[in-house]
Amino acid sequence: MKIKPIISDSLSTKHTSFEVDFHFDYNITFICGDSGTGKSAVFSFLKELSAVDKRIVCLNYTDYNRNYKNSIRRYKGKIIIIDNADILLDDKIRSYIAFDGNNQYLIIGRNPTGLMLSADETYELSSEHYDGVIRFTLKKYI
Amino acid sequence: MITVYSLKSVPEDMEIVTLNDVFFNRFTSEKLDNKADEMISKIDNAEMVSKFMIKSRFDGSVLNIDKLSTGCKTVLNIMYNPEKIFDIRECGENALDAVYSLDSGNICCPYPLVSFDVRKVKVNDKNGVKEMGSYDELKEWWMNEN
Repeated sequence: MKIKPIISDSLSTKHTSFEVDFHFDYNITFICGDSGTGKSAVFSFLKELSAVDKRIVCLNYTDYNRNYKNSIRRYKGKIIIIDNADILLDDKIRSYIAFDGNNQYLIIGRNPTGLMLSADETYELSSEHYDGVIRFTLKKYI
Repeated sequence: MITVYSLKSVPEDMEIVTLNDVFFNRFTSEKLDNKADEMISKIDNAEMVSKFMIKSRFDGSVLNIDKLSTGCKTVLNIMYNPEKIFDIRECGENALDAVYSLDSGNICCPYPLVSFDVRKVKVNDKNGVKEMGSYDELKEWWMNEN
């Protein structure tokens, strides 16, 4: 479903020589692509950002045995960033996320089934080097 | 050749590993030898510089091996732990191609996840073990099993 971002249309951070500069077209941004392209590294940079940006909540495989699904249902006004989504998100919570009008999502995984996304709503990471800095941005996944 | 297990017919004495990151960091990382080099280079474009260290593809910095991608860790888990079955659902296309190129190992997934490069694989279901040799045949079997 093509809903505009409800919390923020961009997210940027810096971690030593790494920069993340994301611009969002939709309320759910699904990042997929090859293994080893930096997805989990970017997640760790955004998790660090969550220490100073209260809007951001980060979930990954370390939350596997925690009550994260109920937490997702309770959040309001958050940018919820989920790595290892193929493991963490079952059909029910995917359906909830698809219709959640209170939060925005950045989801890292392989399988977008159940999130009601069209093909042009999936993205992959692009990385560019300049002056010793590595900058991660989003590009459409083809 | 690798063996694909139906989730309905996993032998009682075999464990399924879903959290490949955790398993790799706890158990597989200390088993790595020269065989891991090629796979780390192929999937993550990183270089193994010592037993627990890799050189990053991005800036050449030396990192702990826990920074490998989940897809690469999954492939290494399969290679070094032939007694277990590994869930491959977090593998990207490049890691998936590597999974299906392995000489042996055990995998599963709740839905069909097949490399276009698939050659011969074994499948294990309630009828026992049989060989399959094409993308379409394997995908159809998988869809019926899950």
